Amino acid sequence: MAEVPLLKELYAQHLDQGVVVVGISLDEELKPLQEMVTSKGMSWPQIHDADKSLVKLFNVKGTPTYFLIDREGKIAAKDIPMKRLGTAIDDLLRK
Amino acid sequence: MRRRTLEGLFGSPGKGRRLGLALLLITLTVNAQNTPAPDKEMARVQVMISHAKKDAEQFLKSGGKPGDAKDPNLKWFKALWKYREKYREKQASSPATVAATVEALRLLNRAERYSELRAKADTLKPDDAAWKQVFYVLMSAASKSKDYSYLISKAEALAQAAVDPEIKAQARFNIGDAYWRTKDNDRARQAFQAVITEYPGTQYAEEAEGNLREIEFLNLGQPAPEFARTTLAGDSISLDGFKGKVVVLKFWGTY
Repeated sequence: MAEVPLLKELYAQHLDQGVVVVGISLDEELKPLQEMVTSKGMSWPQIHDADKSLVKLFNVKGTPTYFLIDREGKIAAKDIPMKRLGTAIDDLLRK
Repeated sequence: MRRRTLEGLFGSPGKGRRLGLALLLITLTVNAQNTPAPDKEMARVQVMISHAKKDAEQFLKSGGKPGDAKDPNLKWFKALWKYREKYREKQASSPATVAATVEALRLLNRAERYSELRAKADTLKPDDAAWKQVFYVLMSAASKSKDYSYLISKAEALAQAAVDPEIKAQARFNIGDAYWRTKDNDRARQAFQAVITEYPGTQYAEEAEGNLREIEFLNLGQPAPEFARTTLAGDSISLDGFKGKVVVLKFWGTY
């Protein structure tokens, strides 16, 4: 969970620049997910992928996994590490 | 950073895993007192493994370089391999022998002694119960050394020579994965397709299907697959609805 503060910062920085973060949780249970979203103050939308259908759709093999999608809906990065996410977003915003 | 695999994360959450380990240790201790042979052996191997881990941490902390003559991974590789050699005829498939074998090879990989690793892997028989985990070690070695040729030829040989369908399926899967990582998508597709056709219903077939879909549809520059879901807050969202914005999808879990 060390990445949550970083993502929060990134989210806050880019919120008004047309950047959306969507959390897709692979948790089996809903309750711990709801609790953590509240306690860590994750204000971006959260999807509970209980049936793993999105995991399958994106062929996700582990967590955390980040996908970056550009303004036209195309895959700009997959399986990108958190530390490179900020730069990659800035690159896309400049396009 | 070691990522959690889906296998690990669907099976047991982090806290559960730690609890499971504690229970395992208790079980090992209890069993060691009541029943002698197999678990006592496993405990012996576990002790070597934990010594190896501690020594390696010390070594790296004090500035040691992997593969140095003084790399403790080499010393513990020798001890574990000696253990394997002692039991490989009589108890090749006992959990203790398998654990010693896998760990010995893992230590060679950590010490970046790739040619020695290949030579030792060559001594395993096609149906050695250790193969299931040894594939992971060889994949890691191939990825670190950026040389997949040994892994591919070994897996080709095992896909032919092994009897155990699980080893055969895994061998085919590894061929696909190795070709995919070297960007030879045609051969990767062929191998994954073979896994699906020859080993339907297995975990490998399911993963191969996912990889085939990824090779076709999840490349950079391709349209991201559309989905629509309801969020925890009760909002309906879809990827299409975010057109014109940059979207970060984070797959994660609380575990």
